[in-house]
Amino acid sequence: MRRILPTLIALLLFNFVATAQDFPYGKVDNDALAMKKYDKDTSAHAVVTNEYGSSHMGFDNDYRILITFMRHVKIKFFDNKEFENSGTIVEELYNANETSYEDITDVKAVTFYKDDNGNIQQAELDKSKIFRTRDSKHVSSVKFVLPALRSGCVVEFSYKITSPYTFNFKGWEFQSSIPKMRSVYEVHIPGFWEYNAALAGPLKLSFNTAKVERACFTYGGGGGVSGGASADCSDIVYGMTDVPAFIEEEYMTSSKNFKSAIQYQLVQETDLLSGVKTKYAKEWKDIDYFLKTYSEFGTQLKRTSLLKDRISPVIAGKTDELSKAKAVYSYINSTIKWNHRESVLSSDGLKQALENHAGTSGDINLNLVTALNAAGIPTEAVIISTRDHGIVNKLYPDLNSFNYVIAKANIGGQSYLLDGTDPLLPFGMLPLRCLNDQGRVFSMDKPSYWIDMNTGQREKTTTTVDLTLQSDGKLKGAVTRFSVGYSAYLKRTEIKKSNSPDEYLEHISAENHNIKVIKSQVSNIDSIDNPIIETLEVEVNPTDKMTDNRIGFSPFLLNQVKINPFKLAQRDFPVDRGMPSEDRYIITVHLPAEYTLENTTQPIAYGLPNQGGSFLTDFSADANTFTYSYITRINHSVFSPEEYPYLKELYNKIILAEKNELVFKKK
Amino acid sequence: MIRAKLLIGLLLFTGLPAWAQNKLDINLIPANLLHNANAVVRNEETTIQVIEADNVEFHVKSVVTVFNRNGDPKVNINVFYDKISSIKYIKGFIYNEFGKVIQKINERDFDDYAASDGFSLYQDDRVKHYRKTSGQYPYTIELEYALKVRQSLYFPSWEPCEESNVAIEKSSFQFICDPGFNIRYKQDYLPGKANITTTREGKKAYSWNISNFAAWRDEPLSPPENQNKPRIILAPEAFAYEKYSGSFASWQQLGKWEFDNLLKNRTTLPDETANYIKSITAGISDPKLKAKKVYEYMQQKTHYISIQVGIGGLQPFKADEVDKDGYGDCKALVNYTKALLQAAGIDSWYCEVYGNSREKLSLIPDFPSIQGNHVILCLPFKNDTTWLECTDQQIPFGFLGDFTDDRNVLACTPEGGKLLHTPKYRTEQNLVTRKADFTLNEGGDLEGEMTTSFKGADYDDRYAIVEKAQSERLKDFKKYCQINNIDIKTLEYKLDKSLDPATFENVKLSAREYGAITDGKYYFSLNSVDRQSAGLKPITNRVNPVTINHGHTYEDRITYTLPAGWKLDSEPLNVAINQPFGSFSANVSVNNNQLVYVRKLQIKDGTYNKEVYSDLVDFYNAVVDADNYNVILVKK
Repeated sequence: MRRILPTLIALLLFNFVATAQDFPYGKVDNDALAMKKYDKDTSAHAVVTNEYGSSHMGFDNDYRILITFMRHVKIKFFDNKEFENSGTIVEELYNANETSYEDITDVKAVTFYKDDNGNIQQAELDKSKIFRTRDSKHVSSVKFVLPALRSGCVVEFSYKITSPYTFNFKGWEFQSSIPKMRSVYEVHIPGFWEYNAALAGPLKLSFNTAKVERACFTYGGGGGVSGGASADCSDIVYGMTDVPAFIEEEYMTSSKNFKSAIQYQLVQETDLLSGVKTKYAKEWKDIDYFLKTYSEFGTQLKRTSLLKDRISPVIAGKTDELSKAKAVYSYINSTIKWNHRESVLSSDGLKQALENHAGTSGDINLNLVTALNAAGIPTEAVIISTRDHGIVNKLYPDLNSFNYVIAKANIGGQSYLLDGTDPLLPFGMLPLRCLNDQGRVFSMDKPSYWIDMNTGQREKTTTTVDLTLQSDGKLKGAVTRFSVGYSAYLKRTEIKKSNSPDEYLEHISAENHNIKVIKSQVSNIDSIDNPIIETLEVEVNPTDKMTDNRIGFSPFLLNQVKINPFKLAQRDFPVDRGMPSEDRYIITVHLPAEYTLENTTQPIAYGLPNQGGSFLTDFSADANTFTYSYITRINHSVFSPEEYPYLKELYNKIILAEKNELVFKKK
Repeated sequence: MIRAKLLIGLLLFTGLPAWAQNKLDINLIPANLLHNANAVVRNEETTIQVIEADNVEFHVKSVVTVFNRNGDPKVNINVFYDKISSIKYIKGFIYNEFGKVIQKINERDFDDYAASDGFSLYQDDRVKHYRKTSGQYPYTIELEYALKVRQSLYFPSWEPCEESNVAIEKSSFQFICDPGFNIRYKQDYLPGKANITTTREGKKAYSWNISNFAAWRDEPLSPPENQNKPRIILAPEAFAYEKYSGSFASWQQLGKWEFDNLLKNRTTLPDETANYIKSITAGISDPKLKAKKVYEYMQQKTHYISIQVGIGGLQPFKADEVDKDGYGDCKALVNYTKALLQAAGIDSWYCEVYGNSREKLSLIPDFPSIQGNHVILCLPFKNDTTWLECTDQQIPFGFLGDFTDDRNVLACTPEGGKLLHTPKYRTEQNLVTRKADFTLNEGGDLEGEMTTSFKGADYDDRYAIVEKAQSERLKDFKKYCQINNIDIKTLEYKLDKSLDPATFENVKLSAREYGAITDGKYYFSLNSVDRQSAGLKPITNRVNPVTINHGHTYEDRITYTLPAGWKLDSEPLNVAINQPFGSFSANVSVNNNQLVYVRKLQIKDGTYNKEVYSDLVDFYNAVVDADNYNVILVKK
């Protein structure tokens, strides 16, 4: 996975000529109107024929910095099937308060189409049909539908977004769900600001030019401001041509990791009046300092006295650090409920979350770190990016690429990664969403550092079946299923979703048609550090009657795979399962004296390259008893596209094995 | 769609005047209410007071005890409001299990969001969402809020027991109005009659209450949820709605009011469009074919976008606006289609319906009120009434599908409202027929061709796949298909969009190692094309009757040509089951080296008594068993 890292493009490239320009708006494009299909992707229902965006830094009327982003797009629709997805434009705007906000202006759209009589007509966007909703306190969205869409039409739209947020310089997505013939982004940045630019995704830029404009940016003189400053600007153009449509695959992490786009991060800002430079994120030590002193992070981590009173009864009587840590962990995750919002920070503070009994991942886990420290357990905070959020940017320090925080407790030379958002997670186990590449560890007294998000956790199940063939042709016996590690967590979550364990057990009968559950029991539902044990007393009805009163029996009684989850001929992106897994199954069948086994089954041993996993079966029989077993091991979390065919074949081998039956015949 | 606007999101939250705190001790909950309950409504009082026709107050007080995480959603409070309704206040308390106050709830504990129904581009509703909670179970939340609403056209129904696994200790509902303000109401599954009294202020008060209602479980194949639980539905006689007012006591009058106030004079088209419609329909004499031509024109010219704005989401955009913009919501597109048909000289009716694919929810014949959430168009041809769904660009003329079939709808005509019933897709009509010819070789590989047709309500079964690019179709087909290692040589779809529409699918395929050969036996799955993968979950002590919404018929015939030298070792499959709710037969016959598998599954729609459920479980188990039949061959 680490192969597809962003490629850095140095900002200050010189000596290139040519500046890209926006293409003219609102001209009839007869070639586009006449297009019947897109040759490079004949299955496309629409194609972006041209797209240009730019960001310029300037001032507003009160001489405050304002970044103006402009986007101009031309789309050809071949038929009506892309109207729903590509025909509605949505932009989200952020506002901090009444005076500092993003705004949208100059929204326009025009559609050229052939009318019922074959004449070319144009329709303009009606300004009253631009909708604006305030989604929440700080976010609103602007939406409009492209006017008069018809099969074969060509649409252009453009708008400007103004933003005072220099730390949130707009990036650009070269790739979308429809192909693009050309996509260009131009940025114009005065030397007062320095940004890092990162290109994500596998596609290369088709062109990239940069030039310096001398003394292009002057501040001062106006508005009674004394003094002044002037700087050169970098004018940089990034372009891609023939960009294919982006298509998501199953079992992949965030599409952000793979979609071609460019993103910016503010490195340094120079105060226009004083000339004082403020570094934002040149190096990790800058970020360390920022987080340490930040009111929603470092300041909160210092509030050990807030937690001390609350946790002293919790750890009372506990002598060793591990049991203290476990007690604190379960106190925090049962006291504060996760509101399903992901955050690195505690914006309302630890106290508020404790009192509300609800909070973000930041509220909960910063509380956890602080509470553990208050209990005398040296604990650090680890900022991470969840799987849906994409891989963290490692080329340069970039706080924006993190969205979540967890705790790292250091006890007796061992470290435990902890997430307090779910009371069903045992101490030291992380939910799947957190298992994503690497995290950055912060403490109040040491420089930050990277760690792998590897807890050693795995999904593990062991099933044992013991059956005896009855004279009526049915089999009776017991099934015991152990769910260990992450499997126990998943099973517990499933059981807790049912309104009672009985309701959960009703599912077993529905999923396994040939098994009749006579008695059942689930143990350890509430002791989360232990495996879940399901014990079933069952009656099995072998469905396959054979000629001459023989009985066909499939030893794969439960957990059948049946359908290969991997179906593609080839894959473009890695398969990422988050953690290894192991599935063991052992069945023993006792035959009455009058029966004997007619056939056997061959042992199978299939291994993935690089010790990535294996499927092994075994069979042994004596006069009245036989035992069949298998182990499926998936040792790696991530499989490259090159390893994909082997993974697919492993499942094929399992399915082939599942087809085999053992035949009981009368002596 | 016209969203049947919820003025109050969760009516169940009511509170009570601050009780003596220990009364909220959880030990006081009657033991019989704890069974299956994740939460218990301790007390709830809901009041609707009509002060004037354009000034209605909703008052809700509730006390709910939550026992575990599954009960949390019960106190996940959302209060909806919009341009014509505003929140007067919200307040409350959180108590611990002993009934002791542990927190106070204020309005600032609520987050304010734009309400989203998940499909609208724009709607003017907002929601206040409560975010505080308690860390320890059990806990009790008391909440009280009031809303002011400037309309009296529709009132939310009172459904105190609408949520599963929630028991009701006590709940009451009161409707207060001037003696001159007449209401109609319908009460279902409630003991006793409305208690009608006069308040001290001389107002008329209707009240109902319910107590000691045990928590119910969600059971699969239950009748539509709100149809067998206690509820009160209300409708005004005279009402105000924004600038409109009116009155109705019958569907005829309601439809008339809607036609005159919301629909009339909204079907004007630009001359060019009207003329074009005339020109393309000029040569067609059959009015139905004429209408088909107009419908297909509308489909290629428009697309569906939901925008809920203005008068409660009840009035359609004007036809000329849709003509210009090329999009609209269901009301706008139905109204536009009506306008186009009018230009071709064809009369049509705007019809309100409650669309839902899982449940057939019919307008209640003897209780006229605003009940729909969607609009369709009716063409009242003599002896050949035709129905049009106008929000879909791809479906055939006259196809409704399971979203709106077989239910009462309100047609708004110039003469007034008419209650009509949409056509039903019958069990025999909803037919999927599959024919396959497969050849198996000595090594276990399979090769062959399969043709499937989808008819009736099943016409759109392959909808999601048909509309995609071929490369995506191949990927999606593999997702549907149960044949492992499938390699698709060709995959073709043909859509017959005639008045009796059908989708045809043809696939030529091969699959490596379809059969497994071990120790002198050759194994392969008999049914990898239409396999019922799981049975129904058994429900002990079922309460609800069994409802099957739509009947379906599936017919499969697969011929396997077996490799030479092998014969059948397993006993040929031969199953036949007949039940009132359906039938199933599957059998295998072998003729030389040809193994022929014939399967027919038929499920009949209807409502059956609750005892039938266990037969249905057995029935599906038998189907799953048969579908999982593993063919075993041995060398001759």
